[in-house]
Amino acid sequence: MTDVTLQDVRKEFDGVVAVKNIDLQIPDGAFVTVVGPSGCGKSTTLRLIAGLEQATEGTIQMGDQEVTGVEPKDRDVAMVFQNYALYPHMTVRRNITFGMKSAGDFSDEEIDRQVEEATAVLDIDDLLDRKPGELSGGERQRVALGRALVRDPEVFLMDEPLSNLDAKLRIKMRAELAKLHSEFETTTIYVTHDQTEAMTLGDRVVVMNDGRIQQVDSPQRLYDYPETRFVAEFIGDPAMNMLSVDISRDGTEYEAVGPSFRIPLPEADGLETAAGAKALLGVRPESLSVADSADRSSFPAEVTVTEPLGDSLLLECRTGDQEFKLHAEPRTAVEPGDRVPLTVETERLHLFDPQTGEAIYHAAAAQSPEVTSTVDSTI
Amino acid sequence: MLGSLLTALTAAVERSQSAGRTTSERIRRFETEQLTLHVLAATVVFLIVLPVLIAALVSTKRAGIVTSIGDLVPGGHALSNYRRALIGLEFWRFMLNSFVMSVAVVVGKLIVSLLAALVIVYYRFPYKNAVFLFILFTLLLPVPVRFVPLYRLTTELGMNNTFFAITVPYLASATTVFILRQHFLSIPASLVETAKVDGVGPLRFLWSVLIPMSRAVLVGVSVIMFVYTWNQYLWPLVIINAESLQVAQVGLNLLRGQASTGEVAWSMVMTGSILTLLPPLALLVLFRRQLLETFTIQQK
Repeated sequence: MTDVTLQDVRKEFDGVVAVKNIDLQIPDGAFVTVVGPSGCGKSTTLRLIAGLEQATEGTIQMGDQEVTGVEPKDRDVAMVFQNYALYPHMTVRRNITFGMKSAGDFSDEEIDRQVEEATAVLDIDDLLDRKPGELSGGERQRVALGRALVRDPEVFLMDEPLSNLDAKLRIKMRAELAKLHSEFETTTIYVTHDQTEAMTLGDRVVVMNDGRIQQVDSPQRLYDYPETRFVAEFIGDPAMNMLSVDISRDGTEYEAVGPSFRIPLPEADGLETAAGAKALLGVRPESLSVADSADRSSFPAEVTVTEPLGDSLLLECRTGDQEFKLHAEPRTAVEPGDRVPLTVETERLHLFDPQTGEAIYHAAAAQSPEVTSTVDSTI
Repeated sequence: MLGSLLTALTAAVERSQSAGRTTSERIRRFETEQLTLHVLAATVVFLIVLPVLIAALVSTKRAGIVTSIGDLVPGGHALSNYRRALIGLEFWRFMLNSFVMSVAVVVGKLIVSLLAALVIVYYRFPYKNAVFLFILFTLLLPVPVRFVPLYRLTTELGMNNTFFAITVPYLASATTVFILRQHFLSIPASLVETAKVDGVGPLRFLWSVLIPMSRAVLVGVSVIMFVYTWNQYLWPLVIINAESLQVAQVGLNLLRGQASTGEVAWSMVMTGSILTLLPPLALLVLFRRQLLETFTIQQK
């Protein structure tokens, strides 16, 4: 176990910048997930930490040792790949021990004991003499995990390890990964494009886009206090609605004014600077609801699409030329084309700068004195 | 003749693959198509095999002069002809030389090509693609162009008339490097990366991962290389003087001279030809599956 520090790390491939000078600190024993759309540089970041790519600029440190130019084998990391990367001609046992024997710092008894332990934990001890071709996807992934476990590395690196599994198995393996981490407490860096995976697994979630780190935070804070429009729209499904509004001020009262609505904004930091200008109002679909009757606090919207999800009814609505989604109560009697009154949970509103996309205001900050960390990515 | 037959054959194969409309129509069409297909295939095979068949027949006769169809009846001298060629005229020695030469070339070529492909695929070094292109470029130089310089080089090194002269010049093979490179590129990069992270060295990776994963391809190229080396004629003829070191293809020519009355002993020549044909044929039959896999010409 060790901590990992990236300082001003940049990676270029033939002039294309994949990672743009990022700083990241991963504490000893943490489970950190890195999430972002494809091409955002998350896998490159992981490969830089593994040593499979060399940084163009910047330094990478593990513990108190700088490893920037060090060969992968000397970094004491173990990596799990999306396609499992099992050697097809070797049995499960040999797949697991092949790397151990190469490293040469294990005795034969130690290898046997480690294999026994790891395969028992992963419940693959009865598959040891089979070849990868005879295993299911889930079993193969366990073998790949077992191979990483037995090495007993300082850091686990996982590159979308669950992406090739079907949805049900993915959820099961997700829980097992979390269990494994709480058991071994090895520093783990986990790359995924799936925000649910990132949120459920990580103590800390790193959101990346376009080669830059957007935000590093705990899953809940990431959801509640997105620092950029990108994070707000990336985390949460369906995505946070963005409505362009004007911020009007009347004494100490602030309001977000749209084409057909005026939504009062609770007092919190950032409102003063926003006042009198255009902004993007961020509202999560679950913060909107259909009101029983139209009154002063509601605003009308036209339903365009209804999607019954069972536990809720997803409505796509329109007001003026702005479209947004909301989770209504299941079995609400609405049809496309209906005009319904909507109310907003005002404590869950956000404002973003329309140009830079940076968050200006979180209504909930009024309740939470602890202000979220800035984008310096220190966890 | 053969060309037009082959065209007809491919056309028939294509037609048989395009489906008919109704099931019964499809079955009927399938049957007639299959019949044409088989007749065509049989004709092509017959035409290709015919010379070999005649050679086999002639090798069973005493003199082996064929002037009419009647002369193609099998003769009764098969056993004595083969015994005379192999033991009496010591053809076994040429065959043994050919065999040793072919095995040495195959093994040497495999080692050189595997290492070359390993470096070209998995190492980062400047002008890597240029190096690979240069290797491919050697394919553009036909053997006769290399003949004179190679002859001078070999004699100046004092290697002429030795076993090295008929093996060393064959060890580098652009074709094998190319085939192995393409195969290595098809192996997922994550396998190499796992090995790198786990600290598996390049030679161990080659031995424990690449070679076992390339078994079929290696067998395939080995067979091709063996047949190619076995069939070498001109270079051994030029560079080897001692009859005791000579190879089978050249040895055939020596059999020609074994005529009792000044005529060419065709039955002896054909006996030798059939003998020379057997080892490559055996290999092709034994390893046909791997061969097809290597060159992926089988229908999936």
